[in-house]
Amino acid sequence: MDINSKSIIKNSNITVKFFYENTRDRFGLKLISEEVGFEREILDQNLHRPGLALAGFVELFSSKRVQLFGNTEMRFIEQLDDNKKLHSLERLFKFDIPCLVISNGNSPTKEMLHLSEKYKIPIFMTDAPTTKTIYLLSDFLDDQFAPRLSMHGSFVDVYGVGMLFVGKSGVGKSEVALDLVERGHRLVADDVVIITKKGEGILMGAGTDLVKHFMEVRGIGIIDVRSMFGVRAIRFQKRLEVVIDLEIWDMDTEYTRTGLDDSTQDIMGIKIPYVKLPIVPGKNITVISEIIALNYLLKHYGYDAPKVFRDKLSAKIKEKNRTTKRTIDYFEHDFE
Amino acid sequence: MLEKKVVIVNDAGLHTRPAATIVKLAAKYKSDLFIIKDGLEINGKSIIGVMTLAAEKGSELILRFDGEDEEQAAEEIIDYFKRGFDEM
Repeated sequence: MDINSKSIIKNSNITVKFFYENTRDRFGLKLISEEVGFEREILDQNLHRPGLALAGFVELFSSKRVQLFGNTEMRFIEQLDDNKKLHSLERLFKFDIPCLVISNGNSPTKEMLHLSEKYKIPIFMTDAPTTKTIYLLSDFLDDQFAPRLSMHGSFVDVYGVGMLFVGKSGVGKSEVALDLVERGHRLVADDVVIITKKGEGILMGAGTDLVKHFMEVRGIGIIDVRSMFGVRAIRFQKRLEVVIDLEIWDMDTEYTRTGLDDSTQDIMGIKIPYVKLPIVPGKNITVISEIIALNYLLKHYGYDAPKVFRDKLSAKIKEKNRTTKRTIDYFEHDFE
Repeated sequence: MLEKKVVIVNDAGLHTRPAATIVKLAAKYKSDLFIIKDGLEINGKSIIGVMTLAAEKGSELILRFDGEDEEQAAEEIIDYFKRGFDEM
């Protein structure tokens, strides 16, 4: 399977309006200035505490970031005399900064409100402590600026393992997903799966807002899994943990036999366990998928069946005077 | 691989009926078809995929054909776009 790196999308900016609307209810951000500069753009996912800029050092000032005023910044301004207050703050406002956030329940000074009006830069405040504000806002901004990718496949939560089925059109991805749903597993998305890189080493998958849990079954048409199977059959998001590549069995392809070498698939720089699964008549892909999920869980909890078997074999080879024995040496009289 | 830009010209945009036709046309060929709109890339052989684009009149799409019969596939499918999905 090849993933086209060209199709990775990354937000290059979000507007202050979007930022405010999404953080208002989640993190309790309040608008404290007039409603100005909402069309301003945030171009960087990091926050900046402008302590040094306030003190006068603006050479490396990260003006494209959301500026966070914690206790330190506010106390610093408050102890300046009125003239210096305005001067020091104006130095900051003259840069094209997107917006100001004041944390820890501090109130803006009258100079800040005046400059907000003058330069059309909005000021928000929150009662949350500064470190918590940094954590919450960074996480939100990281997510907004995270690289994402749309993939063609079916994404299902099988025993809590996020499995993405990929493969050619018509190979039966949706049918496997439907079969898994029927057996009590949960559909995340079918056909179009948006994969987002969340933090280091984590990929999250979700559907699109339009499609949600609709799917197409060839020969039937479009069905709605949520209406049909209810809320227990779906979920909105899931971490991507295993990629299963379905393909019609090919004589010339080598499929894994022992499972000792783990193949992985690189998606946006993150290696995800990858299984190439040949489809042959009489093979129940759904059951195999459940087995893959259980095997993944076993490995996750420290039991790796191929390795355990390998070690047993090595021990056996070292044994002297050995013969192939039955599991039970003597059946006694228990013929069950 | 072949990449072509197309514009939606009919008033109703890329709704269910043309989406179904595109998928049918694409399925006739061995080549893969990918459609890209505003960075969202979908498989042109999947009806849900094509409808996900929700492409309105005037929107620009990039069609990417890849495979042995890409030329013929491109010709037929692009022609269908140009005809405004026979709704003009």
